[in-house]
Amino acid sequence: MIEQLGNGLLLGLIVAIASVSLSLLYGVTRIVNFAHGEIIALGAVLALFFSSSPSSNFLYLDRYSPLGSSFIVSSIVSIFLCGIFGAILELCLFRPLRRYNYGNVAVLVITIGLSIFLRHVYLLFASARPASYPLDLQKRQDYFGVQLTPRNVQVLIIGSLVMILVGLFLSYTKTGKAMRAVRDSSELASVSGINSDYIITLTWIFSSMLAGFTGIIQGVINNVRWNMGFLILLLIFAGSILGGIGTSFGAMFGGFIIGMLVQLSVGLSFMDGHTEAKNAIALALMIIILLIRPQGIFGSKERIS
Amino acid sequence: MKKYKKYVVAAALLIISFGYIFISNETGVARIFVNLLTFAGIYGLAAIGINVHFGWTGLLNFGHAAFMGIGAYTTILLIPHALGREGVVVENGLPLPLAVILGMLAAALLGLLLGLPTLRLRGDYLAIVTIAAAEIFRLLIRDFEDITGGVYGVIQFSDSLQNMRPNFITNLATSIDVSSSQLWVGIITWTLIICVLIILSRLQKSPWGRALRAVREDEDAVRALGKNAVWLKLQSFMLGASIGGLSGILLAFNYGTLQSSTFVPVLTFYIWAALILGGVGSLGGPALGAVIFWVIISGTDSLAEFFFDNANGQQLAGVRFVFVGILIMFTMIFTPSGILGKKEELLLEIK
Repeated sequence: MIEQLGNGLLLGLIVAIASVSLSLLYGVTRIVNFAHGEIIALGAVLALFFSSSPSSNFLYLDRYSPLGSSFIVSSIVSIFLCGIFGAILELCLFRPLRRYNYGNVAVLVITIGLSIFLRHVYLLFASARPASYPLDLQKRQDYFGVQLTPRNVQVLIIGSLVMILVGLFLSYTKTGKAMRAVRDSSELASVSGINSDYIITLTWIFSSMLAGFTGIIQGVINNVRWNMGFLILLLIFAGSILGGIGTSFGAMFGGFIIGMLVQLSVGLSFMDGHTEAKNAIALALMIIILLIRPQGIFGSKERIS
Repeated sequence: MKKYKKYVVAAALLIISFGYIFISNETGVARIFVNLLTFAGIYGLAAIGINVHFGWTGLLNFGHAAFMGIGAYTTILLIPHALGREGVVVENGLPLPLAVILGMLAAALLGLLLGLPTLRLRGDYLAIVTIAAAEIFRLLIRDFEDITGGVYGVIQFSDSLQNMRPNFITNLATSIDVSSSQLWVGIITWTLIICVLIILSRLQKSPWGRALRAVREDEDAVRALGKNAVWLKLQSFMLGASIGGLSGILLAFNYGTLQSSTFVPVLTFYIWAALILGGVGSLGGPALGAVIFWVIISGTDSLAEFFFDNANGQQLAGVRFVFVGILIMFTMIFTPSGILGKKEELLLEIK
């Protein structure tokens, strides 16, 4: 079990960041966004597109590396492109839906359609096989008893920094406070002079950039697949529900627990030979949480019924 | 006249769809028709199950693949079959009708298990839980190879159904040059659809059916009138789940093999697309939607050939699902009530 601790930390971090972005979006817009996983995958796929060398066969498109194949620059550009994509989704799809008063069930079904659409667009432009970023292979080393590669440690540090920054942003900046105000009550926020359309657009951009970042670190740690978004989406839902959907810090905590649990369960003795079932454990935990504390660990009761 | 407008639209769409199949295929039209209508029937039956959940009661079930799967696995494992990598033959089994009933009961039981923790919560939680439960189910089926055959699946179970095939069906199949086993599955499917629709139309008009619709419209009012809203939702969930189980059994017999990869989440989304297209809440809408949906899907294959030279399986699947996604989005945006549905009967907002 202890040998899985490193992987558990990494997956916990990924699911935690993704859960914050999903949960924030849900809180502010009330959209259960099934296409969130596809924005995560978009970040990973774009970074691969910009950084991969022409010899790799991930993309059918004629490859060009305008960024000189620098992985860091490609990642940053991809994260910003994800933000732009989030803004486009809000301006061209979700804002008109809000204007014409589409109900939340209709919007939920539309996000499912959007997710199927986007995922298979990636499939059309990418091969079905998993691909890796052009980074050199590294050996695992011992860090305080935890087995990690040096790059994994870098990812852990950067990811933790991003989480802290997100927390500070939501707690102390004017925009962050406005987002939380719209989340708690959009009417009251409007009365206080907050432009809720503007805040919702900002939330889409912010949440999509975080999602893109998650996709890239997921791609660095494991690999890039066309359907990676859907695979991780259910874990994100589980994390958000565990911590309390609509909360930020709860979702962070819940996501971390879910990610750790999924990896640590690989080491359990009765899981021998059942590697696929590790995701089932996280999802089962989500159902149990809904049974005993449906608002999640940090959620408040009025959100649920 | 306005009352019949949507039926005219439905008939026109059916004629255009069948006309398209006739024109685009020069040979083997009968074979293509039987294949298409059998699949459409099975998906239509599954969509009727979701319609009981969503259209009647307003429950968002995105894990229908699990209900179909548990129905199929229960039934098939109870009748004579061969299992797994080595193809271990199990010769003894229950008679098919009994096994089918047990399969439907198993699906209803899974519905009860999933419904108990979630039906007291708001609707979007149910959507997430059902989709997660469907994934748990599929992963477990895949991992526990001793019981379910794992990725190797279950084979050699079709005889239980095909032995019941009357001779005239076989003769008919030979005379129009189609697969006799698929024709038999197709005929059974559409007969079952008609039976299920007759039962449902009686139920819909019964006090019970009215109470379900009341739950969809205003749960608090139902409670105030002394009805147990959660129990009503559970009943509806179990009924729809067992219909899903039945369609899963038919799907297994249509393929002739049973594999965990059949019950992936996209199966559920296919069925949702058929349901939305046909019209949520209407009785025959899901079946009609499934037929038109399958014609559109078969049309996307020629579209893929147009975009890619010699499209491979991955490109065919890609184009197909890109269209499924667009279809779901556009139907929901522009005509949320579908072809046969009524706007005022559609639940679009969960409070």
